[in-house]
Amino acid sequence: MLKGLLVLLIFQCLGEAISQLSDIPISGPIIGMLLLFLALQIYPHQHLTSIETCSTNLITHLPLLFLPAGVGIFFLDPEYLNQWPAIFVSMILGTILAIVITAMTMKLITENRHDK
Amino acid sequence: MTSNLPASIHASLASSTVSVSEPSHWLHSPLFLITLTLLAYQLGQTFYRRTGKIFFLHPLITSSTAIASTLMALQVDYEHYFSATYLLHFLLGPATVALALPLHRYFHCVKTQATPIVATLVIGSLCAITSTLWLADSLGASQDVLLSLAPKSVTTPIALNIIDVIGGSPFLTAGVVVTTGVVGATVAPLIFQLIKVKSHRIQGFTLGLTAHGVGTAKAFEISGEAGAFASLALGLTGIFIALVLPHVIQWFV
Repeated sequence: MLKGLLVLLIFQCLGEAISQLSDIPISGPIIGMLLLFLALQIYPHQHLTSIETCSTNLITHLPLLFLPAGVGIFFLDPEYLNQWPAIFVSMILGTILAIVITAMTMKLITENRHDK
Repeated sequence: MTSNLPASIHASLASSTVSVSEPSHWLHSPLFLITLTLLAYQLGQTFYRRTGKIFFLHPLITSSTAIASTLMALQVDYEHYFSATYLLHFLLGPATVALALPLHRYFHCVKTQATPIVATLVIGSLCAITSTLWLADSLGASQDVLLSLAPKSVTTPIALNIIDVIGGSPFLTAGVVVTTGVVGATVAPLIFQLIKVKSHRIQGFTLGLTAHGVGTAKAFEISGEAGAFASLALGLTGIFIALVLPHVIQWFV
């Protein structure tokens, strides 16, 4: 568990360093995630169990980790409050559109591949 | 050093005894606020399971409402709450890095089904961004709101990282991302029936792409295969949107 956390933090540090030193508009943890993914692809069995234990715990409890930021929705600046209708409608319709188009795209491509 | 340690413990004990007479002190402490957060999360999860998983009683909705009401009742500033519970927020960093694992585990599916996966990833992600931004823009949302809405289909840790780069309100984004996940995971099964999508791979991939973690949890309820494809979509979408959003957003703001 602790070894796994250390590995994750080291990769986050590496990602942060690359993000700071370059002009890439991607944040440290995401670069860290890409680096860890590459490392796992190259050395699939190195420390895998300890990383896996720690990662599974963190991912299972992701909702808990974003509660501090999530609670902020109840304390928004008044400037956002009068935009609620726009936020709400675009969020819900946008999500429905995205689901329909994503599922249809994948269905069409998969069916075409089977026809050939 | 060793002689300082008992002294500091004594000092902190002393300060907590003092604060008993002034309740606002310990009710504002990280100890109390982190305990409150964990308790609300646990109760929210239990309540969700006991009520048969009704979508608007999602643990994230109930627990954040419970925390916000407690903070208002105790007159705790939100900024104070956020800094007191920063420990939890900090763990989002390593949790983002940890998403490399499900991606690694299911990456072999990408190799065998590269065309449908890559094409759906690109079309689906771009559609998730542009449909929402176009709707919000035509309904008169401000630039700040557009920026905060843009990463809504991405898992929260990555969405907050994107907000760091493009700007926008992290608090609005966190709320919007969570709501998108809950809405997406709820309506997706109905849409699948309506447009006759039966394949578990397609259902899973769509859930992970459009409704991130909440959708992935839903996909695991459908089947293991759906869950695997959802995990894969969650990771790929996160990376893809983090890479393209800083460029796409320029069309809208």
